[in-house]
Amino acid sequence: MGRDGFTGLAVLAASLVLLWGTLGLERHPMVPVGPAFYPQIVLGITALMALALVVADVVLHRRGRDAAPRAERPRYGLVVLAFAVFGAYVVALPFVGFRIATFAFVAAMQAALDPPKDARGWLRVGVVALVTAGAVYVVFERYLHVLLPRGLWTGF
Amino acid sequence: MFELLGAGLANVVQLKYLVPLVLGTLVGVIGGALPGVTITMTIIIVLPFTFGLDPLQGLSAMVGVYVGGSAGGLITACLLGLPGTPSAVATTFDGFPMARKGQPGRALWLGIWSSFFGGLIGGIFLIATTGPLATFALAFGPWEFFSLFVLALSMVAGLVEASLLKGLLAGMLGLVVTVIGNDPVMGSERLTFGIGFLSGGIEFLPVLIGVFAFAQIMGDVEKMRGARKAAEAVSATASLAVSHLEVLAEIVKRPILLLWSSVIGVWIGVLPAIGGSAANMMAYDQAKKFSRRPDEFGSGIPEGIIASESANNANVGGSLVTIMAFGIPGDAVTAVMLGALTIHGIQSGPLFISQQATLAYGIFAAYLLAHVIMVIVMALSARWALRMVSVPKAILFPLVLVLCVVGAYALNNTMANVYVLLAFGVLGYAMVKVGLPLAPFILGVILGDQIEINLVRAIMSDSNPWLFVTRPISGLLLAASVASVVFALWQHRRAARRKAARQKVGEADF
Repeated sequence: MGRDGFTGLAVLAASLVLLWGTLGLERHPMVPVGPAFYPQIVLGITALMALALVVADVVLHRRGRDAAPRAERPRYGLVVLAFAVFGAYVVALPFVGFRIATFAFVAAMQAALDPPKDARGWLRVGVVALVTAGAVYVVFERYLHVLLPRGLWTGF
Repeated sequence: MFELLGAGLANVVQLKYLVPLVLGTLVGVIGGALPGVTITMTIIIVLPFTFGLDPLQGLSAMVGVYVGGSAGGLITACLLGLPGTPSAVATTFDGFPMARKGQPGRALWLGIWSSFFGGLIGGIFLIATTGPLATFALAFGPWEFFSLFVLALSMVAGLVEASLLKGLLAGMLGLVVTVIGNDPVMGSERLTFGIGFLSGGIEFLPVLIGVFAFAQIMGDVEKMRGARKAAEAVSATASLAVSHLEVLAEIVKRPILLLWSSVIGVWIGVLPAIGGSAANMMAYDQAKKFSRRPDEFGSGIPEGIIASESANNANVGGSLVTIMAFGIPGDAVTAVMLGALTIHGIQSGPLFISQQATLAYGIFAAYLLAHVIMVIVMALSARWALRMVSVPKAILFPLVLVLCVVGAYALNNTMANVYVLLAFGVLGYAMVKVGLPLAPFILGVILGDQIEINLVRAIMSDSNPWLFVTRPISGLLLAASVASVVFALWQHRRAARRKAARQKVGEADF
C-alpha cells in the first residue's frame, strides 16, 4: 500500500471514531432532525471516500505506479525543528508574555533556519529579534490597540 | 448605481481610507514581487493590522493587497525570470526574454498597463453584476442555498489539479471540522470530547491562516539550501524608462486579446478557489492558440505579457463578485476578506449589497482606485521591490509566523485560537505532503455551517427531500454539481490517457 492508502486509512479511522462519538447525541423534541443528523451524513460520506481512496491505492499499486523523478531530498529534519521551535513559542506565550517569547522565537527560528557562522551573524539574529518583537508590540498595542498575550510569570 | 459609486469614490479618497489603500497596495506589490510569498500569505500578514480599523479601512487595505499582489508578481517575472506569485508564471514566458533582449522597461510596463486595463474590465464586471446577482440570490430559499454551496464545493473539488477523489475528500474533511462544537441550529454540544474551547466550534480564520501559512512556509523550509542568486537576471543598472504612449498603443492595438484574456480572468475568478494562477496560464494558452504567430510565443512578444497580466488582475474582480453576491469566497484571499467582514460583525451574502451599500460601493471604489495607485506604486518602486527579493527567508519566515500568531490571538484575545493555528498548521503541511488539496478543505470549513443550517431549515420547512431536486433552481444547481463532478472525472481520465500516450511515444523514441 502506498501513501494514499495510508492517508485513506487514517481518515477512515478518524471519521469512524467521530461517527461513534455522534451515537450518544440526544434529539431535541422541537426539531425534526437531531444534532447528530448532519455530522453522521458528513462523517459517513467521508468514511466512504477514505475507503475508496484505500481501494484505489491498492488497485493502483497492483498495476504498478509510475516512478516519480528523483528530486532534491527535502530537509524534513529542518521542518520538524521549525515546528518544534514554533510549538515552544506557542507554549511559552501565556507564561512569559508576547515580548519575551517573540524575541526568543524570532532569534531561535533564525538560528535554526540559517545558523550564524560568526559573532556578526549572532548579532544580526539578536537585532532582528529585538526589532521584530519591539516593532510588532508597538504597532499593535500602541497604535492599533490590539491586545497581545500577557505572561503569567512576568505580568506583561 | 453611479450615484452610489460616486459616493463610494468620494468616501475612499478621504485620507483615512486612502492611507490604508495605498499601504495595502504597496505591501501587495512587495508581497507579489517576493518569490515564495503568495498573495494569500500577504493578506494573512495584513489581516491583524485591520482589526483596529473600521470595516472600510480594513477592506480597502485588503483590496489594495489583492490588486497590488496580482500585479506585483510581474516585476520579478520580467526582470529576474522568477514569477513573484503563481499568477505571474505565464508572464515570465515572454516578459523575461523581452527584458533580456534589452527591453526591460517595455516588458515591465506592458505588464503594468495590461494589469491596469484587465483590472478595470474586471471592475466593470464586478460593479455591473454584483447587484443583479445578489437580487437573484435573494429569491433563494434554504433548498437553493444548500444546493449552491454543494455546487461550489463540488466545483472546487473537481477543478483542483489533484485527483477528483482527493479533492472531494479534502472538501469533506473541511466539513468535518465544522461539525465539532455546538450545532448551529439548537446549540447542542457535540464531538468536543470534553475540551472546553471546542464547545464554541473552531473559528475558520485560525484554520485558514494555519493551513495556508504553514503549508507555504514549511514547504519552503524543506527546500532551503542557503541563499541562491537568480541566474541571468537583468542588470540592476538597466534602464526601465519607456515611452508610455508606445506601450499603451501596443496594448490598445490588440483589443480582442485584452478583452478575451480579461474575460477568462473574470470567469476563472468567479469559479470558486481556482484563482489567478490558473487564469494567467489559461489566458496565455488561449492567446497562443488564437495567435497568427504561435511559434513566437516564449521569445519575448507583447501578446504573452498582455494575456497573462490582464487575466490575473481581471481575476480579482471575478473573485470579489462571488463573495459580495453570494458570500462564497472565490479563493483564499477573499476567504480572508470574508473573515475580516465577520470580525466586524458584517454578514456577507445576498443582503450585503443592499444592507451595507456604503461599504459595498466603498469596496468597488477602492478596487478601481487601487489600480491607479498600483500603477503609481509600480512606477516608483519596481527597482526597490527587486531589492526586497534579497531579504533572507530566515528573517522573513519568523516575522510572518509572529504576525500569524497575532492575527489568530487577536480574534478573541484567547490562546485557544493560537493552538488551533498550530494544530491546523501541522495538518495543512501534512495534507500537502499526502497530496490533499487545501482549497476544497478551506471552502468546506467556510461553508460547513451554512450547508448544515440550510439543510436543517429546509427539512424543518418541509420534510419532503425531493424538494431539493424538484424546485427548479435548486434542482438545476444540484444537476450542475453532478455535471461538474462528471466533467472533472472525464478531464482527469483524458489527462491520464494523454500522459500514458506521451510516455508510449517516449518509449518508442528511445
